[in-house]
Amino acid sequence: MAIYIKGMGNISIQDTLGKNFIDAPVSYSEPYIRCIEPNFKDFINPLQLRRMSRIIKRAIASSLTAVEQSGIAVPEAIISGTGLGCIEDTEKFLSAMIENEEKFLQPTYFIQSTHNTISSQIAIYLKCHSYNNTYTHRGVSFEMALWDAYLLLLSGQIKSALVGGYDELTPTYFQQLKKLGFWRDSVQDSLNIVNTPGIGTFSGEGSLSFMFADNAENALARLDGMSLGYKLNNDEDVCRFITQFLEEHHLTPQDIDLFMTGKSGDEVYDGLYDNVSKMLFPQTLQAVYKNLSGEFFTASAFGLWSATSCIKNNEVPECQKINNIPTKPLSKVLLYNQYQNKNHSLILLSSCGC
Amino acid sequence: MEELMLQLKKEIIEVLNLEDVTPEDIADDAPLFGEGLGLDSIDALELIVLMEKNYGIKLENPSQGKEIFKSVRTMAEYIQANRK
Repeated sequence: MAIYIKGMGNISIQDTLGKNFIDAPVSYSEPYIRCIEPNFKDFINPLQLRRMSRIIKRAIASSLTAVEQSGIAVPEAIISGTGLGCIEDTEKFLSAMIENEEKFLQPTYFIQSTHNTISSQIAIYLKCHSYNNTYTHRGVSFEMALWDAYLLLLSGQIKSALVGGYDELTPTYFQQLKKLGFWRDSVQDSLNIVNTPGIGTFSGEGSLSFMFADNAENALARLDGMSLGYKLNNDEDVCRFITQFLEEHHLTPQDIDLFMTGKSGDEVYDGLYDNVSKMLFPQTLQAVYKNLSGEFFTASAFGLWSATSCIKNNEVPECQKINNIPTKPLSKVLLYNQYQNKNHSLILLSSCGC
Repeated sequence: MEELMLQLKKEIIEVLNLEDVTPEDIADDAPLFGEGLGLDSIDALELIVLMEKNYGIKLENPSQGKEIFKSVRTMAEYIQANRK
C-alpha cells in the first residue's frame, strides 16, 4: 500500500525553491539562520501579498511550486504541520496587547496569529474547498500531517493531498529555545556540524510542500509506509521499532540502500542515531540533512525532500554522507527522525521503478 | 489640514503595509475603498484602530464609517473636528 510524491516546493536556509537538488550548499557560521526567500511577487498577487505574514508568503510560494511540478491544480486535501504556527504575528499581536493594555488590537495580526492560518491561506489562494487540517505536535507536527494524508489516500477518500511542514523562528523565540539548550553559542561551519558535536545545534526555518497522489504517473518517489514511536526507552527499543517496521514491509536492514537520519550535531541526542546506525546499518550508506536545513520543529519535512531528491537523482550529495559505503542504485531509502528522544518517526521511500 | 493629510497618508501606508505606495500616490479626495486604493473590510477595521490609537477618536456609530473613510480628506476633517 503506497502513495506517491508528485511535486515538491522547498524554501529553506539553502537555495532550494524550484530545485530538486542542492548543487551549491551554503555553510553558516552563526546559530540563528533565516530562510533564503524568493521574490514573492513572482508568486503572489501584490494586493494579497501586503497582508500576508512572512510564513504565509513562504507557504504559498512553496505550495504553488509543488502544485506546478505535480500538475495537480487543486488538491483534494490541504494538510499542514507546524510547530510554532505564525509565531511572528502571534508575537506582534500579543506584544501590542500588552503595550496598549488590551486596546487597539490590529485585526490583521489577530487573524494571522493562529496556527491553522497557514493551511487556510493556502486553500484560499488555491481556491480549494476540500478537507483542510493543521497539526501542531512540536517535533512530529509534519509527520502527523503526513500520517493523515497517508491514511486518507490509502482509504480512497481522496486522490491527492498537499502536505506541508512550515515553521519560522523569531529572534525572541530563538532566545527562549536557547535557554532550553536547543542552540549552541557559536557555530563555525554548519555543513560540518555533525562532525563537531556539542550541546545544541543551529536553528533553521522551512516551508516545505509536497503533493501526494494515489497514482504513480510522473511521480518523483513512492512512500511505502511510515510509523511513529513514542518514548522508546533505549537503543534496543529503537532498533526493535525499526526492524518491526521493516518486517511489516517484508524488508531487512540489508535491503535499505540509504539510511538518512535527523542527526544534528547535538550530542545530547546524536548518540541514539549513532548507536542505531552501527547496530542495524553498518554496511549501508548513511546520510544526514540537518546540516543543510538547521533544526526546526518540522525539519523532518526537509528530510523527506532530501530523501526524495536523492531517489530522483540517484545520488547523495557529498556534504550529506556520513560514511564511505559506495552508493548503490537508490531503490529503498529509510528516513529516521526523533525529537528529544520522545517522538520517533520512520518514513520508507522507494524509487518508482522498483 | 495639509500637514494632517500627509501624516494620515503615511500612517495608512504603514498600518496597511502598502509597500509600493507613497504618500504622493494617494490623492486627497480619491476613494479609499472600492476603486482608488482598493481597500477592504479588514482595512476598515485597521483604520478604526488607527483613529483611536493615534488620535483618540472612537467611532461610536459604525454607520458614520462610510462617510468618514471616504477619502483622506474626509478622514482628516473628521479628526480635526473631533480630536481630543
